Amino acid sequence: MSENVLEVKGLSKMYKKGVYAAHDVTFNIKKGEIFALIGPNGAGKTTTIRMISTLLTATEGDAVVAGHSILTDAAKVRENITYLPDEAGAYKTMKGIDYLDFMAKLYAPDKNHAKEYVERAKEICGLGDRLFDKIESYSRGMIRKLLLSRAVMSRPALAILDEPTSGLDILNALEIRRMIKKLAADEGMSFLLSSHNMLEIEFVSDRVGIIAKGNLLEIGTPEELKAKHNAKNLEEVFEGMVKNSEIC
Amino acid sequence: MKFANLFRKELKELLTPSTIITTIVMMFVLVFAGNAFGGIIEDSVEQMSVMTICDKDQSQISKDLIKQLTISEVDEETGAVISYDDSLVKLVDIQSEDYAKELERLDVNNAIIIPEGFGDALLNGKECEIISISKMSSSATLSNISLNDSAVESIRQIAKTLYIANKGISLEDIAKSETLVTVSPITIVADKSAPVSSTLISSLTSMQSMFVPIVVYVLIMFSSQLIMTAISTEKIDKTLETLLSAPVSRLSVLLAKMLAAGTVAAFNAIAYMIGFSQMMGSMTSELPSGIDADKYLSELGLTLSFSGYILLGLQLFVTVLITLSVSLVLGALAKDAKSAQSLLMPIIFMAIIPYILSMVMDLKELNPILRIIVYAIPFTHTFTAAENIMFSNMGIFWGGFAYQCILLVICMAVAVKIFTTDRIFTVTLNFGGKKRAKKNKTLSENE
Repeated sequence: MSENVLEVKGLSKMYKKGVYAAHDVTFNIKKGEIFALIGPNGAGKTTTIRMISTLLTATEGDAVVAGHSILTDAAKVRENITYLPDEAGAYKTMKGIDYLDFMAKLYAPDKNHAKEYVERAKEICGLGDRLFDKIESYSRGMIRKLLLSRAVMSRPALAILDEPTSGLDILNALEIRRMIKKLAADEGMSFLLSSHNMLEIEFVSDRVGIIAKGNLLEIGTPEELKAKHNAKNLEEVFEGMVKNSEIC
Repeated sequence: MKFANLFRKELKELLTPSTIITTIVMMFVLVFAGNAFGGIIEDSVEQMSVMTICDKDQSQISKDLIKQLTISEVDEETGAVISYDDSLVKLVDIQSEDYAKELERLDVNNAIIIPEGFGDALLNGKECEIISISKMSSSATLSNISLNDSAVESIRQIAKTLYIANKGISLEDIAKSETLVTVSPITIVADKSAPVSSTLISSLTSMQSMFVPIVVYVLIMFSSQLIMTAISTEKIDKTLETLLSAPVSRLSVLLAKMLAAGTVAAFNAIAYMIGFSQMMGSMTSELPSGIDADKYLSELGLTLSFSGYILLGLQLFVTVLITLSVSLVLGALAKDAKSAQSLLMPIIFMAIIPYILSMVMDLKELNPILRIIVYAIPFTHTFTAAENIMFSNMGIFWGGFAYQCILLVICMAVAVKIFTTDRIFTVTLNFGGKKRAKKNKTLSENE
């Protein structure tokens, strides 16, 4: 088995004839690596992520997750990933703990593992006794923490997080970024993130892919990209690329 | 200017294409119903203008009585008869006491028999009986407009006049004349008959035709709203994306939803059937006048047997499953909560049209084109199921049930197709918000 947890090769999605939402996207993610796709709204980040999550079928190309192709072995791919959609909610009438239990039972091979997943999620989310309250009473930050803990509780080979901190206040966003970094560093989990918040990505990611109009334009570490474009931060890198290629 | 600006904004919010479409469709439904009612009333009036009478007495009195029934024009001032119209009375020969067969042979729904000895009894001041036979083919209000009640009343009046004319005018004779003619009612349903007034039976079955559709309508709307809200919320909250990216097959997700919804549907159907049987029990218990309505309804086959209840429950279950699968598809394609509400419209129309029509008219009497249109609405067969079972229209019942089963398979296939392909995420329906939907779709596609 290759060292890469995810290998994306020429992945494309065409909705209308000749109009690509994602075109020839190629990248890979190593074990324990945090890889981020950044780009403006409508760049093709979510389409790419949805294809890797097996929610959408690819028009061309393939992605291999932990040795399983999204085209031929989608069920196995789903066993090795978790996906947290942008601005996702949870079942409001459920209690937080029941939601974790429900999701754990979908991922766990047996009851004992499900129990273990729930315990782990309880620890990660840090919601304490509030887990026994209904989700409808949660703040946005609490829901995001609950969902993030759900996404990592089963220790997936790859956790896919779409805009993990969107809509959160600074403190909650910081907490979630630290959580992601810790899980990657301590437990060797791999992450595929998407965001249009360049500063967040610079802080949390090992490598970054800049995507626009469905095309993956550049890949590198934040430092490499900054050096290459002679910029102080990723925002300046992105701004420079926009000016050069009119990608917005 | 500020107020006008606010007013314009509020009006734009409320006067959406979906509300306009709803209003226009409702208008057409009412026009359609009006035309259909008009046709039925016209037919009933046409039937009502002819009295079917079997004169077994053949006495001068009975002949005079029938002659009096043919009076078509009277001088308002003098009361003198200006003209007679023989076509107002259809004289028939009823040979046997199997009245169901006799009426079918004669192709009429009502008949009055003047029995042998009627004239003699009348002349002698003895109680004389006429037999009023009415055939019911539906419990719908308009289908039971019968001429017999007014004909019986006319016969009573004429008999009274004839009696007084023969006996002279004394207070005693006038008083006696009021109670001379008695009526022996016979009601026929399919091939069964019972010695009970069709007015009574009609009023009892009308109660069903009023209440049952209300319950069915509520059940359809409740199931529809339930699943549509659930699925659209799941899509809007993106919990569906989370679920479909988990290690479970999409078919399992869909089947779990359908099975859960089916369980709720079965529960609803059982609760409905219990309520219905209780309602029927209460309605058919002994009436204050001492008439055992339950016995007569039973004789006429207007009570549901155990197998009847099973059939009714089964059809209701299929109906709710159709509702759920259609709602599931519509809910899954909803862009947002507002569009989910708009998407309920087709279900509302499919329920409200047969609801109104079946309550007041016998759909079998609609003209062929209207009948095809109304029968094409799947819920029509649910609204008429109880009546079809009770009135032994089993061909129509089974035809409707088969049609619903075929529709259910098609709806399920569409639901599976949508759930197992990209369509669940890429296609959205948004009545009245085409431009907005198109814009949103483009954005979502490019994300």
